[in-house]
Amino acid sequence: MKNRIKLELRRNPISFIFFFIGFAIIVFVVGTLFNMLYKQLIVSPAYFIAILKDQYVLKSIGLTLYASFLATILAVIFGIPLAYAIARNEFYGKNIIESIIDIPVIIPHTVAGIALFSLLSRRGTVGSIFGNLGIVFQDSLWGVVIAMFFVSYPLFVNSAKDGFVSVNPNFERVARTLGASQWKAFYQIALPLSYPHLISGAIMSWARGISEFGAVVVIAYYPMIASTLIFYRFNTGGLKESQPIAVLLILLCFITFLFLRLISRKKG
Amino acid sequence: MNKRKTYIKISALFLIGIMVALTAGCTGQTDTGQKTVLKVLIAGSLTSPMEKVEAKFEADHKNVDVQLEPAGSLECIKKITELGTQADVLASADYTLIPAMMMPNYADWYILFAKNEMVLTYSDKSKYASIVNENNWYKILDKPDVVWAFSNPNLDPCGYRTPMTIQLAEFEYEDDQIFEKLISSKSKITINEVNGTYVITTPEDLAPDTSKITIRNKSVELVSMVQEGGIDYAWEYISVAIQNDLKYVRLPGSINLSDVGYEKIYKKVQVKTTDGKTQTAKPIVYGITVPKNAPNAALANEFVKYVIDENGQKIFNEDGQPPVVPAKANDKTKLPQILQQYAADN
Repeated sequence: MKNRIKLELRRNPISFIFFFIGFAIIVFVVGTLFNMLYKQLIVSPAYFIAILKDQYVLKSIGLTLYASFLATILAVIFGIPLAYAIARNEFYGKNIIESIIDIPVIIPHTVAGIALFSLLSRRGTVGSIFGNLGIVFQDSLWGVVIAMFFVSYPLFVNSAKDGFVSVNPNFERVARTLGASQWKAFYQIALPLSYPHLISGAIMSWARGISEFGAVVVIAYYPMIASTLIFYRFNTGGLKESQPIAVLLILLCFITFLFLRLISRKKG
Repeated sequence: MNKRKTYIKISALFLIGIMVALTAGCTGQTDTGQKTVLKVLIAGSLTSPMEKVEAKFEADHKNVDVQLEPAGSLECIKKITELGTQADVLASADYTLIPAMMMPNYADWYILFAKNEMVLTYSDKSKYASIVNENNWYKILDKPDVVWAFSNPNLDPCGYRTPMTIQLAEFEYEDDQIFEKLISSKSKITINEVNGTYVITTPEDLAPDTSKITIRNKSVELVSMVQEGGIDYAWEYISVAIQNDLKYVRLPGSINLSDVGYEKIYKKVQVKTTDGKTQTAKPIVYGITVPKNAPNAALANEFVKYVIDENGQKIFNEDGQPPVVPAKANDKTKLPQILQQYAADN
């Protein structure tokens, strides 16, 4: 597989040109981040090392990864059926449903946060019902999760939808004619074949949740997630105290995502 | 089918684009092509009157686009001193931040131009809204079913003024349990008395009991939460309460940090924030300056004039932010020529 791509690159000059032009994006990202990483890790590592020992920072980064993970699980649980239903059916108003799914991507995050707050706060219409069940969103882990979920699920749903669309429905039909139940056709044919899309959607959704600030900070200032803490430290201690946290978060996320992509590629 | 969908999506986006362009066109915000941009960093609580000053200034200077950037006062100043933002005007909710953080490197003069006071805001939806008043507010905040809020003392002056006010209430109401009941038993904020001075310490992890106390970065963020009924009471400046039509309890002059007559009593309370600084309670006075590295200093000076002249005073009065009349300068000899006649020495 790899060799074939190399050969193609050699034979096909347009690939070279495209690769060259596209590389500008990589340079842009690496340049931006490298500047920060270099300053932090090479020029003044003392602050970075101090951060590694700061329990509050570590806890907050752990919380961020964990909460976004929970948000992604929610996105997977609710997103797979939604994506499958949309991919396999044509119905009146499908465009509207698809546009609704995309809404969280469009609206400003603070607005999303306020909307969530008014619905889910202790006194909110839905929040008070959950409150009776012992689930509180205002300034709690669940508030963080729900805000992350709100902004990140479209990435998963859209990717999953693309995945299911890419699987030829005839495969499932053939399985059905061979006696498989509808459910079996779904989880033995459609699900495994769209696996790469699902994984990549889940990774993007998780990443999106980790990066969220605006929506989370309205409904759940506490417990402090990394982006809230970075914003806070920037305001109290300036760049020198906020940047090391950002660098640590970037490194952790980069390693995790690289790892996940490697695993998923092997399986896919 | 897919093609059709794409068309529909593209035309929908197009429509939205047109709508956005139209709205922006009506408010005249997008047309910055040839205009000089005047960047004005302001304390969040100044947003409303500053918008009115902005409108007046832009009406008189057609080629200038004033861009207000409201944020916490500390944040505004740090943008200049840490991020290297080139701002034309800076207005802080606590004038002392200018000499403490900007002078002498980033500013060499400032003007005191407006005052404010601490109030306890609420809405019709708030618990005990019908009975709360200036004598019982601290008992109501302590009721188990009441949720109240203030902004982060380490980020927002309104935030560190809240525990100050609550401590001052102990003197006014002659009840030495108020601070303990409202603050220290429900968070990691502590208080120590040393020779008659009360030093409040606000750690980074405030660890509030979130079923009772809500904390956010800036006090203005709490406004919509009070309006939505998510919290019952929030500590704000009176200007914010008036601009947002919130109900509020007006507190005695000895605790609301607005009365210069009580300066000696205020001074007994201090707050030590996480940046290592100690804030001493004092009357709330706003300060404005033009940073030394302002790209458009002449225009910036003129904008300051618009804030402190008679018309500016009128705007601030109407927004519940009593102006300092006449405005006072730290050192009149350092003021730009154009501002000399509008300010007196402090």
